[in-house]
Amino acid sequence: MDNLLHAFALALRNIKRAPLPYLLTVLILSLGLGMFFSNATLYYWLNHDPLPQKSHSLFYPQINSVLQPCDSCTEPMRVLSYQDVQKLSSSGIPSAQAAMFQSAGYARLPGNSDVSPTPVRLRVTQRDFFTLFDVPFLHGERWADDTARRELILSKASAERFFGRSNVVGETLRLGNELFTISGVLQDWEMLPRLYDVANGLNSARSADIYLPWETAFDLGIKSNTTTMSRDERDYSDNFAVNGREGQFYQAQFWVQLDSPQQVTAYQQFMQQLVHSEKEAGRHPRPEANRLTNILDITEHFNARNRQLDAFALVSLLFLLVCLFNASHLSLNRYLASQYEFGLRRALGCSRSQLQQLILADVAVSAALALFLSLAVAAAAMSLIASLLPATRNLTSWNPLMVLTMAGTALIACYLVTLYPALRASFGSLNRQLK
Amino acid sequence: MSLTLLFKSLLQRKVITALLLVQLTLTLALLSNSVLLSSQAYQLSNQPTGLQLDTTLAIELKPTDENLIVHPALGDLIQRQLAALRQIGGVRHAAFSNQTPLLFGGMNGNVYVEGKQDTTNIEMVPYNFAEAELFDTLQMTLLHGRWLSAEDKNTDNVVITDKLAKQLFSDSHLAIGQQTNGGNIVGVVADMMYQRFASDQYFGLFFNRDLNRADYGYRLLLQVEPQAVAAVRQQIYDSLRQVEPEIDIQQVVSLRQLHRDYFEQERGLAILLSVLSGLMLVVAMISAYSHALFHGVQQQNEIGVKRALGASKQRILVEVLSESWLTTGIGAALGLLASYLLQQQLATVISLPALPLWLPLCGALTLLLCVTIATWYPAAIATRVSPATATKAL
Amino acid sequence: MITLTNLSKIFRTELIETHALRDVNLQVNEGEFAALTGPSGSGKSTLLNILGTLENFDEGDYLLDGKSVKGLSDAALSRLRNEKIGFIFQSFNLIKDFSIFDNIELPLRYRGLKASDRKQRIEQALELVGLHARRDYLPGQLSGGQQQRVAIARAIAGEPRILLADEPTGNLDSLMARQVMELLEQINQRGCTILMVTHDPEQARRAGRHIQIVDGQLHDSTLYQPLAAVQGA
Repeated sequence: MDNLLHAFALALRNIKRAPLPYLLTVLILSLGLGMFFSNATLYYWLNHDPLPQKSHSLFYPQINSVLQPCDSCTEPMRVLSYQDVQKLSSSGIPSAQAAMFQSAGYARLPGNSDVSPTPVRLRVTQRDFFTLFDVPFLHGERWADDTARRELILSKASAERFFGRSNVVGETLRLGNELFTISGVLQDWEMLPRLYDVANGLNSARSADIYLPWETAFDLGIKSNTTTMSRDERDYSDNFAVNGREGQFYQAQFWVQLDSPQQVTAYQQFMQQLVHSEKEAGRHPRPEANRLTNILDITEHFNARNRQLDAFALVSLLFLLVCLFNASHLSLNRYLASQYEFGLRRALGCSRSQLQQLILADVAVSAALALFLSLAVAAAAMSLIASLLPATRNLTSWNPLMVLTMAGTALIACYLVTLYPALRASFGSLNRQLK
Repeated sequence: MSLTLLFKSLLQRKVITALLLVQLTLTLALLSNSVLLSSQAYQLSNQPTGLQLDTTLAIELKPTDENLIVHPALGDLIQRQLAALRQIGGVRHAAFSNQTPLLFGGMNGNVYVEGKQDTTNIEMVPYNFAEAELFDTLQMTLLHGRWLSAEDKNTDNVVITDKLAKQLFSDSHLAIGQQTNGGNIVGVVADMMYQRFASDQYFGLFFNRDLNRADYGYRLLLQVEPQAVAAVRQQIYDSLRQVEPEIDIQQVVSLRQLHRDYFEQERGLAILLSVLSGLMLVVAMISAYSHALFHGVQQQNEIGVKRALGASKQRILVEVLSESWLTTGIGAALGLLASYLLQQQLATVISLPALPLWLPLCGALTLLLCVTIATWYPAAIATRVSPATATKAL
Repeated sequence: MITLTNLSKIFRTELIETHALRDVNLQVNEGEFAALTGPSGSGKSTLLNILGTLENFDEGDYLLDGKSVKGLSDAALSRLRNEKIGFIFQSFNLIKDFSIFDNIELPLRYRGLKASDRKQRIEQALELVGLHARRDYLPGQLSGGQQQRVAIARAIAGEPRILLADEPTGNLDSLMARQVMELLEQINQRGCTILMVTHDPEQARRAGRHIQIVDGQLHDSTLYQPLAAVQGA
């Protein structure tokens, strides 16, 4: 303990001895680490697995179901039609399955018709949505089945916004011109990246305020406010309950949970059989192009990676390298300047391992300082990035594990930077330095 | 000091020199590529738009009452809103459309010449609702044929942009009277920048129809006197609310703002990389500074002896500087190579033009300048050593 | 105490080999005060460095206290230096921003002594060199002679068996040099073996034994002088 304190006291004294070179070293290191951390944070949130316990079992099926013949069209649509969903839902193989799309609407309390309504983010979906993505309920529960029903599930924040409290199960809310009963309230829930909707480039958008049953949305003519495509001449602004269900109106994402490799194979076979029987019935004129994509591959599949961030990641990694080289250059200078003192200590009987302890203390102090500074640099860099690339705005938080990792990185970086100089100083021949 | 001596002195400090070189190399590579990206972003944002960016305002709105979202109530509401907006002083023209130029998303469809789908099909062309006044509101220029009038309402007649016409018919005046899947072409207007992610950003197709449903809201566009822009913007909300309170005005923006957001990604990356390049130059300067300072102190005796032997201060200064020039020079040569390597790597991730030679060369000069500035002070200190004190210590 | 047998040290560069020491045989007994003289470049410092285990040798053997130092690990050598050997340098080699007390404490720390033991030893050493009142000064606040006395205090605080001094008075004026010599003699009389490199013939005479080194070879004028005579000097 005494030795440890001594080592730290020496480390601090070393700083006092030559504060400018020391600060420059730490500053350079912090700049490199800070830029790297800011980028790593965005990268982490964009690429980490939001559901590590079940991501391997979540899949996005697609079939090339468009009715106009086209032999060169070998990629299925990114979004699905009501008919696609109906067909792909009929297998009975997945442990859970849900179709969904994002929409927007206006909600208000039933009595307050003179107050202007509040814009809300909607997710139109089926009951298994909450099972698929492990969405936790605070009050109430998910819908009893997938039939049309005037029941809404609210996020906790929107329950509190409309009613001032969270337990609002059984209350009514007006969405558009329709009245709905609230059947459940979710706990605070965000899934980052929001992999279930990357087809629309919404992987870092916020979760919905209100969840609305799938069939009800078709009854009421509520459509997706993101990608919609129609491939026939129907008028989808008219009688959507029929046209939307029967026509080639593509707007939905569809997710299935297949827990075992056997289930995956079974579902792939089901898709093949489905397409064959559709072909026989003349409803699948395009080449067979079945896709069953795992949720962890979906970003790549939809080519929805943020290339700008990729490029910046590459560059900030290089910058970190430059800073590491630079800092080790500076710390080599610093250590060479005090090489004479190392020699003296050795002459007085300090063993190499004791010397290494001193150096480690020095490294620890530098790392602490560098961590502190680099977090500041990273925070500044992230706010700059968020203001320049607004899509990254929700990706800038740190959890304790990340801070711990960053601390570890700072420590390793400081050690790397000090390693060669320290070795050189402590293993250098002793005879030259003392007279 | 002779070049061979300089090289020898560098070789003696292999590790430090190697560190310095790696760092100079990477700095130059990053510097030239960031400038490349910035210039690309600059070029993109300086393409002609064919639009009056500062005096055109776009209002994005949606009725909150579902009765108002459907024709004919919707059409009536739009006409009342436009009438009210025209009353605001400074508003020259007002028109409705389903989408706004320069804004991502909206209604896109394929376009082909009737009967020649195989050879002329274009995947994504913005389909724009357009009434007579949209022409003046967007300050369009008519190239051939005529613009749409009230008589064209709910007919098959369409107007297309010059670039789309050229793509379909090779020469735009040939387009008039031609039948496409989108309708019968009656006019061709000059190019406007519409949708970035359409097949081409200058493609556009205009038709005059009633909007049946406003599930996605609609846009009101205004052409405003230049000096009245701010005042008009302030009055828009009140004016629209007086017409009908059951609407959600999502945003009021000038096309200038939309144009800024249009290249947001490129601009953002370019700024980020420029910041990073700046930091790199600072780091290079710090490095050069401390390198010179340290070796200046280390070589004090040597410098003292040289001074005693008759070297002038200037000469010593040049000697110290020329060492950092030599390292920077070698670093720059390596950096030139690295610039091209990094460009290749970046080009696999994002779209990036080829790197012209002058760019890394200019970068190398900048680097040299920065290093010289940073070396100057420590070098000057080193020359200040009095020969007497320096030699005494020997 | 110290036995060197056929010890050689060769410096090699790409072009030439230099025999810094050639077949050196030397016996230094416990309690001796030996002066080592020789022209510059003769190998004095190399010999002293080897004796202090700061430098390796190429051939022969070096027995310290009857045990060979050959092949000892770095940790063992460090321990040996720390416990048995004290160094005094021409340029004092005090750490500038450490107080007198902290400077003397340094080797005691490496030995792993408790704080109270360290304090006791430092105070004894300071008492001996007569600088007790200056314990909180920085080296720069002392005269050269005082600094060298601090260095001596540092060397003897660990109660080493051998003191290796490399021109300890080389940077001092004659008055201070005499004080330092008297101090060394006093320490020698307490039983500490001292080996001192010097250029000063006067000092060489005062030492009980005079070893001359020329071109890496020893000429020992008092090699067979009995131990008692040394102690009586």
